[in-house]
Amino acid sequence: MKGTYLGEFEELVLLTVGALHPKAYGVAIMDEIKNEVGRSVNISAIHSALRRLDEKGFVKSEMGGATNERGGRRKRFFELTPFGKKALDQAQSMRIKLYNRIPDISLGQS
Amino acid sequence: MKQKQHIAPPKWVDKFLEYYCKEEFLEEIQGDAYELFERRLDSGVFKAKLKYCYDVLRFFRLQNIRKSKRLNSNFIQMTTNNFKVAARVLWRQKVNTALNVFSISIGIACFILIGLYVKQETSFDNFHKEKDRIYRAWAKELYADGRVFFNVHTPLPLGPSLHESVPEVEAYITIANFPTLVGKGDGRIADNFQVVTPSFFDYFDFEVIEGNEESPLPSMNSVVISESYAKKYFGDKSPINEVLPLQIDNETRDYIVSAVLEDTPLNSGIQYNILINDENNELLYDPRVFNAWFSISVETYVVLQDGVSPDSLEPKTKAMMKAQLGETDSFDGAPAEDHYIIGFQPLQAIHLDTEVPAASYPVGNPQYVYILGAIGLLVLVIACINYTTLSIGQSIKRAKEVGIRKVVGAQSGHLIWQYLSESLLIAVLATFIGVLFTLWALPVFNQLAQTSLVFELGAENLIQLGLLTLAIGLLSGIYPSLILARFKLMKILRGSNLSGGKQMARKGMVTFQFLLTIFLISTTLIMKKQLNYLQSSELGYNYNAMVSVPLYAQPNARGLTAIISSAMENGEKLKTELSKKPNITDFGMGSHVFGSQGWAQMGFEADNGDYLEFDMLAADPYYLDAFKIEMAEGVGFNPDLEIHKTQGVILNETAVEYFGLENPVGKRLPSTEFGDHQIIGVVKDFNYESLRVDVQPLVIVQNPEPIFEGVSDYGFGDSAVPKLVFRYTGSSLAEVGSLLDQTWSEVFPGEELNFYFVSQNLQGQYESEARVNKIVSIATVLSILIASFGLLGLTILMVNTKVKEIGIRKVLGATPKTILRILLSQFTWQLVIALVLSVPATWYLMDRWLSDFAYRTNIGLDPFILSAGLTLILVLIVIGFHAIRASKINPVKALRVE
Repeated sequence: MKGTYLGEFEELVLLTVGALHPKAYGVAIMDEIKNEVGRSVNISAIHSALRRLDEKGFVKSEMGGATNERGGRRKRFFELTPFGKKALDQAQSMRIKLYNRIPDISLGQS
Repeated sequence: MKQKQHIAPPKWVDKFLEYYCKEEFLEEIQGDAYELFERRLDSGVFKAKLKYCYDVLRFFRLQNIRKSKRLNSNFIQMTTNNFKVAARVLWRQKVNTALNVFSISIGIACFILIGLYVKQETSFDNFHKEKDRIYRAWAKELYADGRVFFNVHTPLPLGPSLHESVPEVEAYITIANFPTLVGKGDGRIADNFQVVTPSFFDYFDFEVIEGNEESPLPSMNSVVISESYAKKYFGDKSPINEVLPLQIDNETRDYIVSAVLEDTPLNSGIQYNILINDENNELLYDPRVFNAWFSISVETYVVLQDGVSPDSLEPKTKAMMKAQLGETDSFDGAPAEDHYIIGFQPLQAIHLDTEVPAASYPVGNPQYVYILGAIGLLVLVIACINYTTLSIGQSIKRAKEVGIRKVVGAQSGHLIWQYLSESLLIAVLATFIGVLFTLWALPVFNQLAQTSLVFELGAENLIQLGLLTLAIGLLSGIYPSLILARFKLMKILRGSNLSGGKQMARKGMVTFQFLLTIFLISTTLIMKKQLNYLQSSELGYNYNAMVSVPLYAQPNARGLTAIISSAMENGEKLKTELSKKPNITDFGMGSHVFGSQGWAQMGFEADNGDYLEFDMLAADPYYLDAFKIEMAEGVGFNPDLEIHKTQGVILNETAVEYFGLENPVGKRLPSTEFGDHQIIGVVKDFNYESLRVDVQPLVIVQNPEPIFEGVSDYGFGDSAVPKLVFRYTGSSLAEVGSLLDQTWSEVFPGEELNFYFVSQNLQGQYESEARVNKIVSIATVLSILIASFGLLGLTILMVNTKVKEIGIRKVLGATPKTILRILLSQFTWQLVIALVLSVPATWYLMDRWLSDFAYRTNIGLDPFILSAGLTLILVLIVIGFHAIRASKINPVKALRVE
């Protein structure tokens, strides 16, 4: 399988999808990233990140029910797959492993 | 949320989104965009609409864009698939592909290299905007007694009168070349300057690099120099408004540099380095010359009005000549207008027009351009044939594939396209490699062929390369793909013999390839033979280690006789000094030296009314001895006899015959007009000009005065100012330079020294032949390479199809020799037929080429025997190699193949 690598922005979107479960869809993810990380991204960037994650099998999606807002158009809700969860776990553990190896020396901050 | 739902995003933006977006994504994308739009309405409708536009634009990404139905068509799909399959097939047959690509790329490289040369030769002066309107005028004088004077050097009044009396002539430009000395006092440098009409810059598009662009030659004392001359005389500093002293009419005048022009482009026939305004003509010419119609001096270019054909001007030029020269010719009373004809040749045609005599504009041989172009094409054809024959050979292997495709429903049209995509792919690859190869080989080629070609990958070249690729792909692939597509389905599936017939086409092509190779080899050999013949044939004089040093006349010498004697006096001084040095013998001085074209030509009316022409050499008494020229009759010049010096005349044998003299010694030339003279001897004929022409009648004198008295016309192609010649008997030729340099600066400080080896000049006469021979040799070597690649491929193929046969034969005790014979037998007839056909073709073409030369070698059989031998050896090596390989394979392996 090609490209199971998890990019930085992809990881962020993936985390948000997990956090928003089960109400993760395009605009909500965008808002969440804006609120939590303070990064304002264009909606189209979210969509393409989701599309890539979908291709890699990290998320799956389903159309929601009809709505009154947004001109009656349905939302597509995203959801972490077990594989996606595993990818997040791996990223996290790798990060912690490396983080823990930072020697306890003064870096001039304390 | 307030009730503002009725405000919708701009319709057209929505339409655009719906147009490009993939069906499956449309709903969510549009939904999200709407949601954001509604949210933003609070901060202003306009802003929200704008942001909506921006979002929609940002969604315009490849992954969201729907695939066009048009792009999705069967044709595109099939083409992509075809190329994919083609790439796989080519990858599978690596050896074959490599051979094909390599031979076609060599063919392409050869084609490009020769094409560049041909392009340069045919593109002379095509960079001027007004090129189609510029013509060069020529003047032709015809007389009842058969005399013809055809010149592109024209009378000085021609330009102005054309401009005045022919309204279609928009402007005229005269160009004349003069020798001069640049600088002041010591260290003057001999150079040439060009006198041009200032309108030169209006019609010829040479780029002004620096200085006055509007009118580069504003006044009489301004001068324009080329970029490299600016470097030569002024180094790195700006030459604008600097003084450049030029010697004009024996007086050194200061000229102010007003502009710097780009160096003469490679494909410009108009050559320049130092240009001055034609107002200077009054210094350069006698006032009478401005109205003289029988004195030629300048090259005249005219600019015709748009759409005027030069032929249509004939009545007007005739009327003009009538007005200028009067009703009748003063010589023979015929109408003047019929005897003095003005004509025009298009600027771009000058370079390859050998009908009109040459002047300062270089004239090439159009024949060579065509020959080379044809050869470049032939090499490419040989390479394409390689592909064709090899693919036909391979086709049997592919029969099953074709069968399956047909069963699945492929039509022959589709199959043809599929196999064509293979050849196209090969062609693309080969072009790419070929271009790389060209770029790499160009410097080598330039050095070998003494050309200065450049290869730029501009838009025009790329388009041409693309077309070339397409042509190669289609032409080399069309026949094999037709054959493949024509296979009968039932036959394939039944596994019957598909090769059908005797494969005449394939054999024919191989024969043609052999034929071309043999033709090229023998052509090269014959050309080489003729060149050797020209360079080694007995010329009638000994020019070994002869050095020629052009002398200077005193600046105050007027008239040719005075110039010759003044320069000879100077030569005496140099000779006295040089004779003290070691290793220098055989001194002589003469107005012309061997190896230069255009010895002084004289014409006179003989007593019996005939018009006779001869060449004249003014020499000192030692000249003939120095070159070891033998006498046939009478005596040579005796330095001690004053009568020889003033009146002695020596003829060559051709002159004796031409003048119709018997026992010439003691007689006079056949006209009473000549001054006091006496023929004292006859020399054996010697070839003083190129071997392209027969020996002309030659008159040798010490004192040209009596001859000048009797001649009515004369012309010089070569400077008649005498040269000192001597033989250097030492071993180090480099020493000549330092010896001469030293002596020269003692005798003539401040003048520039030039010297030549006569043998070099003699070789220089055949420069263009030598160059063509070099290029043809290169093409031949490449074509041999290509042909052997083809042969190699065919042999591999043959060995593969005959694996079983060879195996069985080996089991039965066949030796490698037998196997070689079997393999060879496939090509014997083709080789023999190619040989038989190539001999007459080559003979005919080479015979025509040789007819350009007055002195020509015998074609003989040896070039053909040699080229046939060479081809045979080549075939033997290629096939022999495979025969040995095939015979070494364990027959068990061969027979086990299933």
